[in-house]
Amino acid sequence: MDPAAILDHQFVTAAYIITWTLQLGYLAWLGLKWRAEKRAAARRTHHAR
Amino acid sequence: MKKFAIGLYVAVTLALMVWGFYQAIYVAPEDAMQGEIYRIIFYHVPSASVAFLFFAISLAGSIGFLSFRRGHAEWAQISDAWALAGAEVGVVFCTVVLITGPIWGRRAWGIWWTWDARLTTTLVLWLIYVSYLLLRRFAAGPQVQTLAAALGIFGALDVPIVYMSNRWWRTQHPAPVFGGSEGSGMAKVMVHPFLWNMLAWLAWGLLILALRYHVERQHQQNAAAEAQEALESA
Repeated sequence: MDPAAILDHQFVTAAYIITWTLQLGYLAWLGLKWRAEKRAAARRTHHAR
Repeated sequence: MKKFAIGLYVAVTLALMVWGFYQAIYVAPEDAMQGEIYRIIFYHVPSASVAFLFFAISLAGSIGFLSFRRGHAEWAQISDAWALAGAEVGVVFCTVVLITGPIWGRRAWGIWWTWDARLTTTLVLWLIYVSYLLLRRFAAGPQVQTLAAALGIFGALDVPIVYMSNRWWRTQHPAPVFGGSEGSGMAKVMVHPFLWNMLAWLAWGLLILALRYHVERQHQQNAAAEAQEALESA
């Protein structure tokens, strides 16, 4: 296989992996933040009782 | 019913992402000039489009906050939540653009970066919205939302400049593929994979945006309740 084509393939793979790492990483952070906010709300409701 | 609708939307979005990936890698043919490397377009351009859309949502939210803050406190908070969600998710997509672009550029132009108008204005756009997020994260006091709204409006002014930059100035970045001069465009066999990926990234972006909005609304409600409790205990 042409070395330039191999390099192209590696660059495309890197771009796709980085994109998904960023997107899923952000989604995971958002999930954690959501859980923390929900827990804070539940704690407050519990204390109010 | 609401849970079912959300589940359905998530399922459709995931299916679109898988389908978009399949189209980008297995259906779209190699480009005659650039070979395999052009496939970055299926992530790079949709990410830029979605980032622009979300910065526009942030602009609308910022204007809404400034309009409602004196008379409609609840509407102002809703607008502010949209402004923050649009800015933050927009930064995520803009980061993807600023990373995938140089990867593509290294193979296509032989360089990772150049200070041409398109690249520089995109970097400035990213920096403005990162400043917006830092302001919201670290500044304190009653004026933070107002200051952030003003910054959000100024930041959005860069979006049309980024969009028009490779029309107004001669740039290393290619001329517009869509809506450009005569002869611009994409081969038909590549257009369908491109549109599938546009749709997939838009669906994904809206999902994340909605989640970010709900997290911020929950945060606002928690903060308001805490403030109320502090007042009552004082």
